[in-house]
Formats: sequence, structure tokens, C-alpha cells
Amino acid sequence: MSSLKGNDFWRSLEELEDTPAFREMLRDRFPHFVALANGPASRRGFLKLMGASLAFGGLVGCRRPQERIVPHASRPDGRDPGVPVQYATSMDVGGAAIGLLVTSFDGRPVKVEGNPGHPASAGGTNAVAQASVLELYDPDRSQAVVRNERGTRMVQDWAAFDGFAKSHFEGLRTAGGEGLAVLAEASSSPSRKALQHRVAEAFPGSRWIEYESLSRDSERAGLRSVFGTPTRAALDLSRAQVVVSLDADLFGDHPDQVRHARDFAAHRTGEGGEMSRLYCVESAFSLTGAMADKRVPMRSGAIPAAALGLAARLLRADAGRGTLAPILATQLAGTAVTDGDRGPLDRMAEDLLAHPHDALVVAGPRQPAAVHALCALINLALGNEGHTVRHVVDPDGERVSHGAAIAELAGAIGEGQVSTLVVLGGNPAYDAPADLGFGALLEAVETTIHLGLYENETAGKCGWHLPRAHYLESWGDARGWGGTRGVVQPLIAPLYGGRSDLELLATLLGESTGGQEIVRETLRADFAGVDFESHWRRTLHDGVVPHGGEFPPVDSAGAGGTGLDLASLAGADGGGTEVVVVPDGKVHDGRFANLGWLQELPGAMTKITWDNAALVPPADAEALGLTTNDRIALTAAGATVELPVYVMPGQAPGTIAVAPGYGRGSAGHVGDGVGVDVGPLRTTGAMDVIPGVAAAAAAGTHDLACTQDHYPIDPIGESGMERRLDEIYRSADIEHYRHHPDFAQHVVHHPPLEQMFKDHEYDGHRWAMSVDLGKCVGCGTCVVACQAENNVPVVGRQEVENGREMHWIRVDRYFRGEPDAPRAVMMPVTCHQCENAPCEQVCPVAATVHDREGLNVMVYNRCVGTRYCANNCPYKVRRFNFFKFQDPDSDVEKMVFNPDVTVRSRGVMEKCSFCVQRINRVKIEAGNDGRLIEDGEIVPACAQACPAGAVVFGDLNDPESEVARLHAQDRSYALLGEMNNRPRLRYLARLTNSGEGGGHGGGPGGGHGEPEEGGHHG
Amino acid sequence: MVSVPVDNTPVEDPTQRPSMVLEGVGYAEVTDRVCRIIERPKPPIGWYIAFAISLCLLALFGVMIGYLLLAGTGVWGINNPVGWGFAIVNLVFWIGIGHAGTLISAILFLFRQRWRTGVNRAAEAMTIFAVACAGVFPAIHVGRIWLLHWFFPVPFQQNMWPNFRSPLLWDLIAISTYGTVSLMFWYMGMVPDLATLRDRAKNKLWFYVYGLLSLGWRGSNRHWLRFERAYLLLAALATPLVLSVHSVVSFDFAVSQLPGWHTTIFPPYFVAGAVFGGFAMVTLLLVPCREFFGLKELITLRHLENMAKIMLATGSIVGFAYATEFFIAWYSGNPYEGFAFINRMFGPYAWAYWIMISCNLLAPQIFWWKRARTHIWTLWIVAILVNVGMWFERYVIIVTSLSRDFLPSSWDYYMPTWVDMLTLLGSFGLFFTLFLLFVRYLPMVAMAEVKSVMPQSVEGHEGHKPFGDYWGDVPEQHDEDDAWAPVGRKP
Repeated sequence: MSSLKGNDFWRSLEELEDTPAFREMLRDRFPHFVALANGPASRRGFLKLMGASLAFGGLVGCRRPQERIVPHASRPDGRDPGVPVQYATSMDVGGAAIGLLVTSFDGRPVKVEGNPGHPASAGGTNAVAQASVLELYDPDRSQAVVRNERGTRMVQDWAAFDGFAKSHFEGLRTAGGEGLAVLAEASSSPSRKALQHRVAEAFPGSRWIEYESLSRDSERAGLRSVFGTPTRAALDLSRAQVVVSLDADLFGDHPDQVRHARDFAAHRTGEGGEMSRLYCVESAFSLTGAMADKRVPMRSGAIPAAALGLAARLLRADAGRGTLAPILATQLAGTAVTDGDRGPLDRMAEDLLAHPHDALVVAGPRQPAAVHALCALINLALGNEGHTVRHVVDPDGERVSHGAAIAELAGAIGEGQVSTLVVLGGNPAYDAPADLGFGALLEAVETTIHLGLYENETAGKCGWHLPRAHYLESWGDARGWGGTRGVVQPLIAPLYGGRSDLELLATLLGESTGGQEIVRETLRADFAGVDFESHWRRTLHDGVVPHGGEFPPVDSAGAGGTGLDLASLAGADGGGTEVVVVPDGKVHDGRFANLGWLQELPGAMTKITWDNAALVPPADAEALGLTTNDRIALTAAGATVELPVYVMPGQAPGTIAVAPGYGRGSAGHVGDGVGVDVGPLRTTGAMDVIPGVAAAAAAGTHDLACTQDHYPIDPIGESGMERRLDEIYRSADIEHYRHHPDFAQHVVHHPPLEQMFKDHEYDGHRWAMSVDLGKCVGCGTCVVACQAENNVPVVGRQEVENGREMHWIRVDRYFRGEPDAPRAVMMPVTCHQCENAPCEQVCPVAATVHDREGLNVMVYNRCVGTRYCANNCPYKVRRFNFFKFQDPDSDVEKMVFNPDVTVRSRGVMEKCSFCVQRINRVKIEAGNDGRLIEDGEIVPACAQACPAGAVVFGDLNDPESEVARLHAQDRSYALLGEMNNRPRLRYLARLTNSGEGGGHGGGPGGGHGEPEEGGHHG
Repeated sequence: MVSVPVDNTPVEDPTQRPSMVLEGVGYAEVTDRVCRIIERPKPPIGWYIAFAISLCLLALFGVMIGYLLLAGTGVWGINNPVGWGFAIVNLVFWIGIGHAGTLISAILFLFRQRWRTGVNRAAEAMTIFAVACAGVFPAIHVGRIWLLHWFFPVPFQQNMWPNFRSPLLWDLIAISTYGTVSLMFWYMGMVPDLATLRDRAKNKLWFYVYGLLSLGWRGSNRHWLRFERAYLLLAALATPLVLSVHSVVSFDFAVSQLPGWHTTIFPPYFVAGAVFGGFAMVTLLLVPCREFFGLKELITLRHLENMAKIMLATGSIVGFAYATEFFIAWYSGNPYEGFAFINRMFGPYAWAYWIMISCNLLAPQIFWWKRARTHIWTLWIVAILVNVGMWFERYVIIVTSLSRDFLPSSWDYYMPTWVDMLTLLGSFGLFFTLFLLFVRYLPMVAMAEVKSVMPQSVEGHEGHKPFGDYWGDVPEQHDEDDAWAPVGRKP
């Protein structure tokens, strides 16, 4: 009780005494409140901090040296209260960064957008980047330095840690660094690289381990075997005419997914009658499979043999032609093609050979190194190098693979060689290979220090936990997949007093350099010989260093043969049931598990929210007697995991797919206990593909909360769906399109549409949107972007199950064809802003009305909540606040709200507004400047975020506008246009390039229907 | 003269017309029978039990509404595609119930269906109470009930009119008009009987209460003259309402563009259904009432049989409407419409659809047999089934259409929550509480009117011709003055 200060309050004697037993009880009963309960000081400190950071933010908009924080005597130029400012920064996930522009309102970052100047973004983003502002304001983030000693958790401060670190690391330094190990998550930061070198110099006996549970190291190893040096493949799909993907999800889990989506979209519009063709051979149904013109479901274990078959076929077909460079033939000499019945492979080989330089073969991270080596050889042989693929020098040349590194560390700990372990981010206690037992090993290390955004599973096992500064709070630098060098600059002072990994490494070195200085120091070397300050400012403004800083290409001419045994690929598949671990683009490896926006983002292919499931192919499900929502037990290497089942059409028989990153125990209020941890199945040798799994039905059921097909659809529903899909989602093969370019207009047969009311007149703007179904990959980024922009609430698992999700834009996913090998199509749907809006007619209080620019506006204040509008909306895009969904518990949660958008309360209908706040902002700006609004100046959040550029917004009254051009295209059609709603959102029908002749993608009897709008028969 | 059994009112011979009131019951007895129910110091124990149960249900209704207001609309089972669930189903159900009352009191009055007199008071009361129940639901189903006044076309500070194009506004006007006219009609018709109660009052309290309610009625010729004219006028006013209210209610659905709702057949189909359901409800209520309150002589088997015939007729109309809907769904060639109906029959809500068909279409067919029409238990059970069926009809229309509309991605299954269920149950509490209070304190049978159709009054002398052939003479002999004459004029 000696620590009692005069004015401290206490609630019970136990608390006052603060016994370990009391703390145990607290941890037991209120696991999340321990941090608060652990000391009144921390709560107060937090509030002080909050107030301070708000003040900092409010006054200067961006973190500046602290001594300058004074009220403005005169307002600096360009800082208007309420006028948002954008800052460029970068977000690094797993060692590859994407460039961002972050919008800050009065010093409060609220919205992340892509940086058009960053090639990994080109203006687009992914869902994870969109959700990162929510992470910044997550009240569950760790807020204090924590000391765990003998099972007791104590809240400390940085001074205590600094004091400890000073003496501890000085001691280690004298000992030559013996016993020190740093376990870092992957990072592309050159500054961290520099600090890593300095740590190695200062502590020569230390170890540096880099670990990611979702690793692309098999690709690295495969390419290394070909090029002799660690190599990375940077793809340019915009130049690819034929792409063969072997288990690679180019648009889903690839670090360069945003760029891929944009590049790929370039050749999907059929303009000029030409299109690229994508083949996809994969086990789990991915976004890439959905985009593929030809998808072949195949077990991951069988794909190596297929790759080998493809190579052999290439050689066979090339005989006498000489298209291929000899390198492939040399390598495969003596490897025979044994099986003759793989139709698609022959076609792929033919197609690839027909497009030398413009073809691409790419393998996914699940495939063994030899497959990657083979792909590189094929690409080299086809002359694709420098065209569709750039093999570049991997920046991390010296490191061993993630799997080997963590295994080695575990061994060292086991042998007692590690006395001090610094965990720089990451969560190895949760995601290290199960056979290592890493959680227990952590506790065996004498001194463990964990730096992390959250007090996660690893933090609980470490002696010290240090709060990490969010990337929006800290200085840093990062490189894109292709090497583009960008800066990370803070938009707000650390809310919870966190430090970045760079700053912590400086502390280890006994320095107290700030993050900004570290980054500047790194750049100084690069900017040698130029004016540093001007380059620095330019870099901060652009977000990327001048001239990009791409990775240099490897010497492909000197590429020798791979040392890997290619012939063994033919027999790689051991048979049995395999489990493939497929990240779902939401929680990644679990690090984003506490973000409600991502948890509630429907899985791209499954539409599952708030869960992971075992995706079981229909044939296997039938054999096991399982159906969706049943439970399955998967047993491998002595570990059993039970998951709910989702029967996944199109998944290769014999493959069960699971998503990692769920079943977290210490993620936070939102992420705890969501889904099932599949970690126990993942072992050192089998992290991504787990062969020989025993699958059996397990007892019980578990209702998955899906946003589509909320319940099993009966045969009547199936047939009804089947019959209307051709009308809803219009697509055709390019061959058909060449002969019937207006096929999309002739799908629905209906009588001429008469107009009952007088048309609205628009003398100003006439806003409209176009969505290109040929470009949309269905990633769901627009959903999260809209959520962030428009303060769309998260409703939680139960309410999604009740069918009350609030997303203003959704991506509908439909399957066509046989369940074993279906096609999947993606269709983003948001408010169509109908000219004859059915919702407007029926609202009794006129709460939804047409405005003078053709928007169907929702007047929240006037809404009484009859829900009649939603009933009458044929697109079902209206969303009702069944409860008070937006009800933040803390002030910090409110900070994420976009101040330009009303936060809706209970009982009110809401829906997409075409981001009317953005329209008005630009209108006001243009009005102030006395100029006209340019086409493309107004970009709604969905269009802005879309990596593929599938969403285009603009003014139909401007005949030159992009949207007017797209609406006039022959592929353009109105969804349910026969209802005469006259929607302002029109779709561009998807074209596919199956290469199977005039096959009809959509299949409707074409050519006899009425065009929607030309249908007046006079 | 053959001797007749106690209740031989349903006669086989079409040339014979049975009495509206059983033989041996005189004017005094009619008054006595009806007033005795009210005047006896304590109602039968059964009333107390029924009232206690009703009151509990009413309290439940209140609690459910309170919970709804505190927590939000989400306590119900509605979801994204299914924006309307139990609340609107209940609204249409209760409004439909009301129709029988107005039909009996107004249309049958205008058509000189004299048998209506025995049942019209209770039926009208039922109308009022059903409308009261119905009125609760649109009010509580909105998301922000505290802004309900925005529905009304009155100037508020927002300076905005409601949207006159919205069927919900038409609905509001139609239902409130209907409620008002029904209330007036019921109350006005009761004034002479209230005066009778006032005159017979045993204590000051009831003397004043009934005195106040009877508006100074003295039974003078002048009163009768005015009364009859006004009654006729209100009947004429109420008659179109019978058709209009449910037509307008059906517009809520027909005017929207949802497959399964967007049908021109809805107005007549809804009206027929409402009359059907309403008569079932009257039967449901009167069968026990005549049993417990000794009114068998006034509410005779013939009344019940007639109501059974109407149920048979309207039930068949409703059945025909079901068939027509299907035909049009197919004939229109609209794939969404076609799917909506196939989905109703065989989709996930097939169970509700087949409950509806069996209760509404099949159950009343038993009334082709006279024995069924005059068998009390059969009548009562079929009446219950029809009520269930009519409730499910609205459920099928509203929920199946919403749950699967145009885009399959939005399809969802609606399941009511316990709050939905208990709220529906609670609304019966409101209804029966009001009805039980009515049978306790107000004349359940229109005494004055019944007297006008008694053989004595019709023939002008004491019942020598209980099974007279006067019916054929009606147009000449019985203008409305005559019809109303007996009570006032006879000393």
C-alpha cells in the first residue's frame, strides 16, 4: 500500500493491496480491463495523452517538433479549419509496401487513399489499407509499457524501460552481443535494414531472425536457384496477353495485388476486339480463378506435376518452331511427359507459344520452390523477361527463409543460447509453426521484449511489452514489391505513446534518435550529391523518392539452370486430403483481427463474415456427409482442429482450404474468439499445404454469418436464380462480342417503356456512375473504403446473421455452371440513383427525394423509418439502422468518423449517396476558384479505392466525360432496366476470352430483345 | 301448425322464412335478456377468467412495445430484404377483421338483410376494437416513433407536406377515416339502447354514465326520425369504406414494384379476404357469447348459418383470387412474377402457403353441407381456422415476396423473434380486453333493432305467423320508417 498517492481512489481493499491474487482475478474476469484497472495512473495518463494529441493534431495537422506547439497568431497558408489535407505515406504489410495518401481533418487522419504516384498503388488500395485508420483509433491497442514478471502484469512507463534497456544492452554489448536475438517481422524499410546492420556491428554475437507466417519464400528459393541470387518477380500484367497462374492468387493475396488488378484490367474491355487470356490452375477458388477465362480446379499437391506437364508440352509443341530459348530444354532434358490427357494444359502451351514475350507463367506461394524455378525457366524461354515479368534483386539477400530462421531460433532457445529476445512486431506465439512450441520457448528466455500494436499472445509471454506506434503515427520508409521507395510519415502524434521499430532499435543501440532523423539519415546516403532538403521535401510531398528507386534487375542473361530436382515434381502429390492455408485478404496472418471493418467484410468468394471456415469441395462434403454450417475435424501431425464447414463450389476435390489469422486469444474486444485458429495444423515443413490430413465430420453445427445466401437455397430458388442470372450479370465471350457488339442491350425482352411522370430537368450536373464488370476482381476494397468514408457502422456477427449488414456497396458473387467446376462472377452493387426512383415514390414523409443533379438523396433528419423505400428498391441497397449501431464507447473511437458525413442514429434508413460530400467539396472549391469542375475531379470513395479502376464517376451533362463515354458504350446496360427505373449507375458487361470459339459467356438468347432505352415503339 | 324444435331457424324449405328471434320471446324479454347481462351485479366467473387473461396479454403488449421503443426495431425479426414482418401482417390482419362489422352494419342494412340485427352490434364493436389493434402496428413499426406526427398533413416547423404519392399516406387517411366512421356508426346505433339502460339503471352512477352516453334520448318520434335518417346516412357513408379501406391497404403492396405485390387484383382480393376473415372473427366471438350470456334466442342458428354461407362465398372468392394470381403470373410472362408465385408454393415458405390454402380455401368448403353450417363446434373451429388462414395469407404475401425479390444476392429468410410473437399475442389481449369490457358494460345485441324484426312487429300483431311469408312483401310494406317503428311507436 506504500505506493498509494494522496488522491488515488480505490474500490476495494484487494485492489488497494494489489495482490497477485487480485490481479489474477482481474485477468480472469475482465481480461480487457486489466490495462485500465492496473493503475488509475494509466487511465489518467491516457486521457492526458489523448487531450494532448488532439491538441497537437488540431493545431498543426501533422506531427511537428514539439516546441513549436503554440496557437497560431496568424493562420498559415493552406491550413483551414475543416478543410482536409492529404499527406503521402506508405503502409508495409509483410515486407511490401503500398503508397498511400491519407486525408487528415484538423490533424485527425480519417481516410486512406491510394497514392497515384506510387506504382504499387497507382491510386488504388486494398481493404487492409482502407481499414488501417480504424486500427489507428482502436482503443484495444496497447497503451502502456507493460512488465510481466512472475505472472504479474505491471504497467510501467517508457522511462522505466529506457532505464532497463540502457543497462541491459550496455551489458550485452560488452559481452559482444552473445545471447541477443532479434525476431523481426518482415519489413521493407531501408532504415530498418541500416539499423539491422548497426545492431549486428554493435552486437556481433547476436542473431537477427525475420519471420512471417505467410511467407513467399518458396518463390524466393526457386528464383534463387535459377538466378543464383535472391530474386523477386515483379509482374507487369498490362503487357501480358496470355497468363497462366499456377495456384497464384494475383489479385487476392499477392503483395502487389493492387497493381496486378489495375494492370490486368487494361486488356479486359475488348476495345479494339482484343483481349488478354487468363488461365488459372488452382486448388482453392480465388479471385484470380474468378477472373480467369479458363479455370482448372486442381489439388495444390498435383499442380507441380501439371507445371512440369506444361513445360514438357511447351517443348513438344515448340519442336520445329524454335520459339523457346534453349534454357528450358536444357533443364528438362530427359524429363518425359507421362500423361497425355490434360486437355487444358495443351491449350495453355499452345497459347503461350503463340505469344512469346507477352505471355506469363506464375506460381503461387503454396507451390514448392521447384515450381517457381520452372516458371522462371518458362518465362525466360518465352522471352517474357523484361516484358511481362521483371526478375529483380531481392533486397534481403542475406537472410535465410522464414521457416528455417524461426526453426533455427527455436533450436537456439532450446539450447539456451538466447538470453535476450527482442520481438519487433509480429506474433510468433500465435503464428509460429506449431511443432516449435514457440509460446513455451518464449517463456524460457531470460529477457524478452515485445514491441507491438496490441498486447497479443506474444506480449503476454514476454517480460516487457512496449506499445508500438502505428504507421500513421510514426516516421519510417518502405519499399513496394517492385522496389519503389516511399516514406512513412506520421499524421498524428502517437495516441498511446508508442514507439516505432526504428526508434526501439535506436534505443537498443543506446541512442535516442527520433524516427524522422533515422529516416533522413538513411536517405541522406541516397540523395548524395543533390540538395538534400529540397529532395526530402519533395519526397514527403510525393510519398516516393524522386526517380522511384526500383530494385535493379538480376542478370537474367547469366541465369543458369536450377539446381532443384524438376523431374521429381511429377510425383509430388502424395494423395489423400490436403489442407491449404489461404489468407482471406481480411485479417492477413491475424494481425488485423481486431478491425471490425475487416471482420465484417464478406469473404470475397464465400461472403462469410466474422469467421473462418473449412472450405470443402462439394464432392468431399458429400462423401463426408457434411453440408455448410456443419463442423469438420481436421487432423494432421497429431493436432486436430474443428471448423465450421462451407461447401465451396469449384474447389479442387481433395483440397480443404482454411484461412489463417482467426481464433485469436488476445486480439482485442473485436477479434477475440472470432473463428478458429488453424495454427496447430501448420508445422515447419508444411505451413501452407498440409498433406495427408484426416478429415471427419465433427459433432454440432455452427451458423456462419454470410451476407449472401444467408440460408441454404432450395431447388426452386436455385432454378429461379439460374434463370435470371443471365439478365442480371451480362457477359459474353469476345468471339460473340465481335459479332454482336450490342449483345448486352438485347438480353431482356420487354415492352416499350413509357414515362408516366414529367422528366426531371438538369441544367447543371447529371451525376452518374459506370461499373465495369470486366475489370472488377471482386476484392471488396470498395466496401471498406465506403465504410471508412461514410461512417458506415459495423453491426457485428449476430446482426449479419440476422441479415442486417449495413454496407452501402456490396459485391455480389454468383456461381454459374456445375458445382464441381463453376464460373464465379462478381458484381458490385450500390445505389443506382434511379431517375424514376421507386424509393422516392413510396416514402410517406418525403425523406428520400431527387436533387437537381439527379442524385437520389436521403434526408436522415426527415426519415421516420417505415422501411417502405427499402422494400420497394429492386436492388436492395438501402440499409436500415435496426439498432443504434454507431455507439462508440470512447472518444478515441469517434475520431475515425468522417466529419463531413452525418453519423446516423437508430431507426433511420441510409444508403449510398455517390459520396455527395465529395461532390459538394469539389463544387465549393470550384465555385470559390470560379472554374468549372473537371471530369475526374470528383471521385467517390469506391471509385477512388478500386484497384482495377472499374468504377467511374462523372457528369453525364458533360458529353466529353469518361462516364458519358462509358454509358454510351455498347457493353453498357442497366441492371433491371426493364423496370423503367432508369438507373444512373450502369454496368459494362463482362467479356471473357475463353478461346473456345463463339461460346456465349452469358448464354442468353441474344438479338431479339428490346434495348432498354431505345425501346419506344412510337 | 306443426310443433317446432327449440331452434329450428335454419329451415330447408325456401318458401319459408324462419323467425329472426325464437318463438316465445317478447319485446320485454328481449330487453330483459340483453340488459340483464349488464345489470347483474357480478358477471359469470368465466368473464373474470377471460378478462384476467386478456388483461395479462394486454400488459404483455405494453411491455413488448416498451421494449421495442427502448431497444429499437431490431428486436423484431425483420432484416434487409424483409423490411416488413409481423407488424404489417398484423396490421392487415386486424384491419381485415374489422371489415365484417362494417359490412354487417352498413351493407347488410342497405340491402335489408334483417338477420343482421342480431349480430350487428357485436360485429361493429369488433370492428372498432380490431381497428384499434390495427392502428397500433403502423405506429410502432416505424423506426422513429417519436416523429410519427410527420405523417400528418399539418404544418410543422419543417414546413413540409408529407408525400402524397406514398400509399402509406393514403393508408393512414383511409384507416383513420374508417376508424372514425365506424366509431360514429357504432355509437350512434347504440344511443336508443343506452337510453334503455339508463332508464333501467339501479344506481346513480350508472344512471349518470348511461345518461351521459345516451345524449338525452327520449324515444320521441322526432328522435326516431332523425336517428333513422342519420343512421341511413352513416350506413351509406360506411358502405364505400368497406371497399375503400382494404383497397387502399392493398395499395401499400400493389403500388410497389415488388414481384408478388405488384398486382392489380389486390383491391378486390383484399376486400373479399377481409370480409371472409371478419365473418370468421364474428362467428368466433358470437358462438361463445350466445352460449355464455343466454342469447341463443336472439342470436339464432340462422344467424350463424348465414355467416357460414358468407364465409363459404368469400372464401371461394379468395380461392379464386389465388388461382387468378397464378394464372396472371404465368400469363404475364414476367419471370420475376412467375418465380414469386412458384416460390410461394414450393419455396422455403411453402409451409405458410399451404397453411393458408388449407385454412382459407379448403376448410370453409365444409359449409356446403348444412349440417356443418348448423353445427356449433364445426362453425367455431372453421372460424378459427379461417382466422389463422387469413393471418397466414398476409404473411405469405408480405414475407415471401420480400424475402426473394429481384437480385438473388439479397435473398434472406425471415423468422420472427419472440418479441414478434408476443406482440401479436399481446394485440389479442388488447382486442379481447376491449371486447370483454364491451360485453360487460354495453348492450351486446341491438335491442331496438331486434325488436323491429320480431314476428310481432313485422306482422303487426302477436306472433300468429312465426314462419310467415312476409319476406316477399318487404319492398311494399317495410320502408325504413316501418322497420324502425315498433320500439318507439308502440306504447
